[in-house]
Amino acid sequence: MLQIKDIHATIGGSEILRGLSLDVAAGEVHAIMGPNGSGKSTLAQVVAGHSDYEVTAGSVTYRDIDLLDLEPEERAREGIFLGFQYPVEIPGVNNAVLLRSALNAKRKHQGLDEIDAFEFLKLAKEKMAMLGMDPKFLNRGVNEGFSGGEKKRNEILQMAMLEPSLAILDETDSGLDIDALRAVAEGVNALRSPDRAIVLVTHYQRLLDYVEPDHVHVLSEGRIVRSGDKTLALELEDKGYDWVREAANG
Amino acid sequence: MKSPALEFDALAAAVSALPDSGLTAARQSALEELRRDGMPGVREEDWKYTDISALVDITNNWLAGGSTAASTAAEPAAGLEAHWITIANGRVDENSIEPLPEGVTVTRLANIRSDLAQLGRLGAFNTALLHDGLHISVASDAVLDKPIGLLLSDYAGGGACVSQVRVNIELAPGSRASFIEHQVSSGVGDLYANVAVNLAIGDNAGADYVRIQDRAPQHNQTGYHGIELGRDARLRQASFDLGGRLIRDDLVVNIAAPGAEAEFGGLYLVGDGQHVDNHTRVDHRVGPAVSRQEYRGILAGRARGVWNGKAIVHEGADGTDAEQSNHNLLLSQSAEINAKPELEIYADDVKCSHGTTVGQLDEMALYYLRTRGLDKSDARQMLTRAFALAIVGRSPIEQIEQLLLDAIDARLKGLLRETGA
Amino acid sequence: MATEQENLEQLVNRRYEHGFVTDIATESLPPGLDEGVIRAISARKNEPEFMLEWRLRAYRQWLDMKEPEWAHVHYPPIDFQDISYFAAPKSDEDRPKSLDEVDPKLLETYDKLGIPLHERARLAGVAVDAVFDSVSVATTFKEKLSEAGVIFCSFSEAVREHPELVRKYLGSVVPQRDNFYAALNSAVFSDGSFVYVPKGVRCPMELSTYFRINAANTGQFERTLIVADEGSYVSYLEGCTAPMRDENQLHAAVVELVALGDAEIKYSTVQNWYPGDEEGKGGIYNFVTKRGDCRGANSKISWTQVETGSAITWKYPSCILRGDNSVGEFYSVAVTNNYQQADTGTKMIHIGKNTSSTIVSKGISAGRAQQAYRGLVRVMPQAQGARNHTQCDSLLIGKECGAHTFPYMEIKNPGAKVEHEATTSKISANQLFYCRQRGISEEDAVNLIVNGFCKEVFKELPMEFAVEAQALLSVSLEGAVG
Repeated sequence: MLQIKDIHATIGGSEILRGLSLDVAAGEVHAIMGPNGSGKSTLAQVVAGHSDYEVTAGSVTYRDIDLLDLEPEERAREGIFLGFQYPVEIPGVNNAVLLRSALNAKRKHQGLDEIDAFEFLKLAKEKMAMLGMDPKFLNRGVNEGFSGGEKKRNEILQMAMLEPSLAILDETDSGLDIDALRAVAEGVNALRSPDRAIVLVTHYQRLLDYVEPDHVHVLSEGRIVRSGDKTLALELEDKGYDWVREAANG
Repeated sequence: MKSPALEFDALAAAVSALPDSGLTAARQSALEELRRDGMPGVREEDWKYTDISALVDITNNWLAGGSTAASTAAEPAAGLEAHWITIANGRVDENSIEPLPEGVTVTRLANIRSDLAQLGRLGAFNTALLHDGLHISVASDAVLDKPIGLLLSDYAGGGACVSQVRVNIELAPGSRASFIEHQVSSGVGDLYANVAVNLAIGDNAGADYVRIQDRAPQHNQTGYHGIELGRDARLRQASFDLGGRLIRDDLVVNIAAPGAEAEFGGLYLVGDGQHVDNHTRVDHRVGPAVSRQEYRGILAGRARGVWNGKAIVHEGADGTDAEQSNHNLLLSQSAEINAKPELEIYADDVKCSHGTTVGQLDEMALYYLRTRGLDKSDARQMLTRAFALAIVGRSPIEQIEQLLLDAIDARLKGLLRETGA
Repeated sequence: MATEQENLEQLVNRRYEHGFVTDIATESLPPGLDEGVIRAISARKNEPEFMLEWRLRAYRQWLDMKEPEWAHVHYPPIDFQDISYFAAPKSDEDRPKSLDEVDPKLLETYDKLGIPLHERARLAGVAVDAVFDSVSVATTFKEKLSEAGVIFCSFSEAVREHPELVRKYLGSVVPQRDNFYAALNSAVFSDGSFVYVPKGVRCPMELSTYFRINAANTGQFERTLIVADEGSYVSYLEGCTAPMRDENQLHAAVVELVALGDAEIKYSTVQNWYPGDEEGKGGIYNFVTKRGDCRGANSKISWTQVETGSAITWKYPSCILRGDNSVGEFYSVAVTNNYQQADTGTKMIHIGKNTSSTIVSKGISAGRAQQAYRGLVRVMPQAQGARNHTQCDSLLIGKECGAHTFPYMEIKNPGAKVEHEATTSKISANQLFYCRQRGISEEDAVNLIVNGFCKEVFKELPMEFAVEAQALLSVSLEGAVG
């Protein structure tokens, strides 16, 4: 589904990704781990199309489309979803308006009719119940004044509504208490399906106790230095990131 | 550059030609004042960014043309539940006054021999040419269930037209009332409307006030709103400038007794060729008291916006808590904003702050919306609208929210079209 | 709290430490101003013809100009014919070649002021061009500077030795008729400093000047011109202190800075002129025009000021950001106590693309003082990508003082980002109590809080100035809390 080939990316002139390659097939869950500054978030933003990041070499292909040619919204409508590490607060734009506009933008792209208000509300409430969210959130400004946990749940809600083919969740587990973590994990698990891929970007193994990955990759200095199955994550937890750095350098 | 002077002989003749009434003496002394002080010019600090010489020209043309007033039959906005009183081309529509809600009395200024308070730099101009005005009183402890609407409507058929509006509102202690001032106009002629409103809110009384300025794009207006707050009185005010060519409004809030709370603010949507200037001044003469103001502007085309907010904390006004904020979005290369948030503080136990920004939509928010599949222009529109809605949220009169939203959406569409966004 | 009140009053009443009069006979022109006086000044200084012409042109323009009245300050009218426009120490004709030759009484004066010239010059590696009244009397480290090709001399010397540079840059940032006081200065300026840093040179030391005002009824009209050629860097320190006088003294300086492409000028001031006594009598009128021109791309001009002195201050160090990507900065601490009045701030004029400016202004007002921040941020239509951030905070100490903020923002480019924030607050009783409960005296607590309030600015000062600035601040505010 997603092929990243030898990609190099810079922000403000400094190179963050230095020859990273990754293949993600439909139905798979990948976990990308690595120390701070290793390039995890950059990878997520490059796939989503943030204009501050410049791809200087390599390619990103998604379902045979050259992703780097597309605007962020075109990527989204093709089914790519990014759960932000720091979800943006947008005062004045209410959650329901955003969700409905996003959903309709995608439906329009797929040649479907717009969802009607009643159906939308029903769907939203259903998903919110699943995530343990108060329906009042629908009428609040996007992430405005939300706690860290509420923001992350809100990201998962958007994902659940938009039903992406490829979901990249950037540190969705950070700053969550155990209940919120469980709710988020349930949301992710509910989305697992043979025609969908999920990439979890995370610093800790904690989330992986709830969402079991098929593949685990360790990032260091802009490259994947180790790949393996879920046991790699446990080993990493045990030995720490220094071990990876040493292994990479040695 | 010297601002063109009023044609005084013609003006004096026009003043004398007004029907003899309780206002006659006040008009004559205002005329003398005007002769002495003249009209405000750009050399004055408060008028630095707003040149009204075009309005003086309109006045001179109007005087030369016989200073007539067209008669119009204006209709209040549909579906707005309010007790509407109409002032059309500066003429009070007698028929629209009665029947009054309980606790409200309305007197025509022409029927009482009154000394009118000087309201602002253009107050003398207003008084000198005033045909008639209104004095509205709300009785002690009266609570009105419907807003009182002031429909200020002007029609300029051809040639030049000048109108003066004067309304004094007095809320007796303990009363509650809300007001909608709707300023509209039509016709292809030149119009200069000069509005002066005085609102005195008694002890423990509360006033909600919304001003909607939706003049025709070729018409001009200057306005002055003087507001006085008594002990524990409360003001909630919001203004919306949507239309007009040259618009200037002064909002002057006087906190003269402890415990008062004043919240006010406004939204100005300014398009090509428009000039909108909001000046505010709040005097904290005693404390404790609170003032909060927030103004926002969106400017497109060759728009020019001015915002000048002044908070003065006088000696001894301890316990003052004053906040001002002003945010502006410039949508086009040739739009311009001049912002000046001022604090003058002569007491030490105070909390004052202001924040002003000029900028663009938040890039991160735009990106976030785009990752959710919204295209650039939709995302832009959504954020622009959200920026404006913050002020609608401050509007104290719920009944008019829909009307405001519709008017704002229509105007924003125009602005975004002008910028090609 | 009675004892505290007393302590405070004692502190407030402490006399100005630097207030004394040095007994040196001065050779002055009689009071009054006409073309003859200007010719006399120019002749006394052996100036070339072009300089005299320039002065006369300024004088004729000044005659048509009016004193500005818009500032938030009040003072009795100044009689410009009652001011003597030239005074020089007697030793002028036979100038000292080294510090040893300097009038010992003058050196003693500096010692009393806590400016150990020898030490400062030698130990701190600072070249000092001390202006006593109007004429430069000592310049050190000249050799080291000339090795690097840096010209640092008195303005009079520059006019004689480097007329081509003076001609090229004088008045190019602050035109003669810029404002009333700048025009007056242009006509009668006495002396000042001149700095030229050649292409690619990083000036090897901080340059410093101490200004003093001494002779009675003497107007002081310094003129400073600093030119940083392409790719160069210079840091210039200006410090002032003045003896006590009963008559008000007018001071109208002009400082012009020119930064060419990739050049950087850092200009720091500690101003501690006599502020007048606790009754508001005496003190310096400080009406200064300071402006920097970021003429070339990627240039930078940074103003840092700590203003504690003067009875009246009227001063707006500004930056014209002409070159693309140029940077302007203004960091200011202003303290006013007793009857002092200050109307100060900055102007940032964005003309070039991607220009950015930062304004941090910290005002502290105590006693019966009135202080105003007045600032202008103007973004011209062509200044795509301009950025400004302004933070403007006032701290009030006492019930009878005032703090005012008058910022102007004139924005004509949609790509500009301009942010202005201002707050006004007082030192809270809670903060003081908290400190005192921890064993800190009230006076120290005030210093602590005030220094914390000003930290952002102090960190911009060169080290040796930062220490002096903090000390000055506590002297200026002693006893201000009531």
